[in-house]
Amino acid sequence: MLVAQRDSIRLEPVIVKGFVPEKFMSGLKIQKFDSTSLNVFRFQNISDLLSLYTPIAFKNYGPGQLNTASFRGTSANHTAVLWNGLNINSPILGQTDFSTIPVTGFDQLSVQYGSAASIVGSDAVGGSILLGSAPSTRPLQLSVGRQHESFNNHQTQVTARYAAVINDQWSFSGKTNVYDGRMNNDFPYSERNQYTVLPSSSLQSGLVQDLFFNSKNDHQISAHVWLTRNRLTLTPEDKAGRELTLTEAYRTMLRYNYKDFTIRTSWVRDIIDYAKGDYRQLDHAVTDKFSNRIERDFQFNQFQIKAGGEWAHYRAHVAGYDKALVTENRGDLFLLTRWQATARLVVSANLRQAFVTKFDPPFTPSLGAEYVLAQKEGYNLKAKGSVGRSYRVPTLNERFWKDLGNPDIRPENGWNKEIGLEQNIATPLNHGFSASLTAYHNRIKDWTYWNPTKSYHVENLQQVLARGIELQAGWRYDVNDWKSGINLGYARNNSSQERAYDAYSSDIIGKQLVFVPMHSGNLNAFIQYRNTRLTGQAQTISKRFSTFDNLQFLEGYTLTNLLAEHTFVWDKVKMRLQGQINNLANTFYLNVRNNAMPGRSFALSLILIYDPPHSAK
Amino acid sequence: MKKQLFRVTAFTSLSLFAWSCNQSDPAPKGDYIQGVFVVNEGNFSQNNGAISFFTREQTTAQIDIYDAANGTTLKGGVQDYVAQDATGIILVDNMSAGQDKVEIVNSNTFQKIATIGAPEIENPREVVFGANNKAYVSCWGANADFKFTTGYVAVIDLLTNKVVNQIDITSGGPENLVFNNGKLFAGTVSYGGGTTLTVINTSTNAIERSLPFESAPNPIGLDADGKLWVNDGIKVIKMNPDSYNADATLSLGSDATKSAYNFAFSSDRRTVFFVLSSFDAVGEHGATYKFGISDAQVNVTTPLIKRIFTGLAVDPTQGLLYAGVTPSYAQAGYAVRYRADGSLVDSIKVNVAPTGFFFK
Repeated sequence: MLVAQRDSIRLEPVIVKGFVPEKFMSGLKIQKFDSTSLNVFRFQNISDLLSLYTPIAFKNYGPGQLNTASFRGTSANHTAVLWNGLNINSPILGQTDFSTIPVTGFDQLSVQYGSAASIVGSDAVGGSILLGSAPSTRPLQLSVGRQHESFNNHQTQVTARYAAVINDQWSFSGKTNVYDGRMNNDFPYSERNQYTVLPSSSLQSGLVQDLFFNSKNDHQISAHVWLTRNRLTLTPEDKAGRELTLTEAYRTMLRYNYKDFTIRTSWVRDIIDYAKGDYRQLDHAVTDKFSNRIERDFQFNQFQIKAGGEWAHYRAHVAGYDKALVTENRGDLFLLTRWQATARLVVSANLRQAFVTKFDPPFTPSLGAEYVLAQKEGYNLKAKGSVGRSYRVPTLNERFWKDLGNPDIRPENGWNKEIGLEQNIATPLNHGFSASLTAYHNRIKDWTYWNPTKSYHVENLQQVLARGIELQAGWRYDVNDWKSGINLGYARNNSSQERAYDAYSSDIIGKQLVFVPMHSGNLNAFIQYRNTRLTGQAQTISKRFSTFDNLQFLEGYTLTNLLAEHTFVWDKVKMRLQGQINNLANTFYLNVRNNAMPGRSFALSLILIYDPPHSAK
Repeated sequence: MKKQLFRVTAFTSLSLFAWSCNQSDPAPKGDYIQGVFVVNEGNFSQNNGAISFFTREQTTAQIDIYDAANGTTLKGGVQDYVAQDATGIILVDNMSAGQDKVEIVNSNTFQKIATIGAPEIENPREVVFGANNKAYVSCWGANADFKFTTGYVAVIDLLTNKVVNQIDITSGGPENLVFNNGKLFAGTVSYGGGTTLTVINTSTNAIERSLPFESAPNPIGLDADGKLWVNDGIKVIKMNPDSYNADATLSLGSDATKSAYNFAFSSDRRTVFFVLSSFDAVGEHGATYKFGISDAQVNVTTPLIKRIFTGLAVDPTQGLLYAGVTPSYAQAGYAVRYRADGSLVDSIKVNVAPTGFFFK
């Protein structure tokens, strides 16, 4: 957890083979979040964390409402979200509503920038968000957490982590996590600066179950379940006009690994129910995805190779489709290589070919390299570069929606190029500096568009060029009982439509894409003395255009949060008390519905952790 | 005597002058006294409708005059705008329930005077002025089941700026309104299944007649001869607004898959312009046509303009045809001006989705 475990002895850690083969992503930028950062956000959604630590822009419809990501200036369909290596974007929508992903639902988080389609597959055009489960290192740890927030919002979480030896051969570990949040959003005001603060309530609950079985002769079996339920109601007091969106996901996975060989099978069911006024008549959409993956690793001297395939079967019952049931098969073959050419140079070449029923996704290769420019005691400077093709299989809605869908649509595809520098400095006086600078150029062709001039019929109309730079810098200083650090991020993104497709598209060409800010920045700083920590967070984004011709826009804004926490440590029990002030400056800003977002709010949370010291076997 | 008469006359004319100043200001103040007001519906999910304005000689528009005058936008789609003397009425339709409203503004300065919101106003569609300082707003009501049974006409008293009456119309969502001689004609939305033209007696606020039609009827207005024109599917019917007897029925072609909309009278009210179109898998196709009020049949083989428009109106002062073009709901639209013979004059960039015009 948060505080170093001085007086406990860890179990032999269960080594889990990575769910996502990050080692083949050489040349790409990957940002990993440590458990301390995740813990700070224990009661928040992943979008709160990502908007404070990454340049990902979120298109938010309001508190607790639809929240989609734009990664490096791409659309909501261009971010792959992987849970233990499995793409969990909704197959009908091709995107993830980040308001339905609480930070408490996963143990590990990495953000991978830029296209990684050769490794991740479809949707990984702007970047990928990698969520993972981790085995427990504790024989038994129980925690109960509760947060109370302004506006009558409250959340409860219960987590158990456990590990045990079964017999001479086998040991197991696992985690059970249940969470329940009730965001009533009882705002004391109905408008801010004359803009409506739309009444809404959202109930969020979920269950996470992870089990890892490990044998001494290299067999490893793991099972993962993640059930989520999100019930959003807009204008709940208005019985005739209220709107209900109920989003449920059942995600299950079984994985078996023996030495260099891994198989994985999974079933994911996504349910979306929508109703207005009378909840007896629900617009119902159910999608099942059955997916299997098999892969094997090889090592030849300086070459590491992973070869494998995936096969998935989709079944969708969607009220808006012509057919009562739409089914589809998809397959993927991939070959990933990593070559340690010299002590300083690593090269990755990856190949992937996807297959989709009645469809022809492009062959997607990628080539990446990392070269150590300088390395000496306490100093490291690395150059990175990557070029790769990306693609996106159109969503089921884009192809099968009654009248509007287009079964003949082509997959989007693009080429992503990027170069970067990464530098780390560690001084003898406990100072640590890190900095990275990345420039990218990502052109996406056949970008699909629900064309309003043709009754929203789906077409491959647009071609978008996204280019920009990202700068990240960090400083850490730890001495005696004190720890401190600052992280700074800045991104400039210019994403624009390149291709004319009708008489009026000249008004659009070269204009910044909607809801993609040109500039964004974030700053996080903390200072910690023993078990007391003070954190400040700030994010700023420039104005976001709300029409394609940049006629209308939402003003830029800066949000700041302040957090203070203290962890009380007793013999077997710890208690973390955290107070949080969100939107400290009471900044006024608008969401994409043109409604005001809430002002300053307060949250107080308490986590009780039963964590007995473990004696050696 | 002569001198005295002069003094009396002078006094009288002076007081007449003062009286007339008092009664109606001959020189209203404001930036929007004369010109063209464009109703921009906006993109429904973005609540970004606006009223644009330009004077007749200008070729660039001020894209959001409500924002310019009040420092805040309308925060919803704009369904309609009308003005009479210094009173302007804007209908604002927000995508969320309970957020719709009627904004009453000074039509010359566009400064806000009053707001009427939920529950009196829910899904407003069209507004007309009546007699005795009343205005009428057709509303669909909550209409959560999309069956169009919750509609009504809200009666606004412009002296108090409050809704003083609600006339329920359950026969289909009330749509277009025409006020004439103590009667309010309310049409029916074309996709709600309703086929009734509702006639409301505005002195009693009671439904006087529910006139049945084949399709969803919508009143177009009164022509130069005082006859009421009603669109009914791909027909138009000329009727007597008092006896309700049909004088003539004209077919707008014979293709029942087409729909006719955006009817607009010429400035002499002897010609009617309209859009006739159909939808297929790749969108809407059609053109703009016209007919005369005494024509025996409508020529739908030769279009006046080979385009469809999201809004159509004729400036009664200059007689030019103003047509709204909506390239998409995510970019600015255009007000395109044509002469009555269909020849193009120019086009002016306005705001998102221009659907209507008001001339002052």
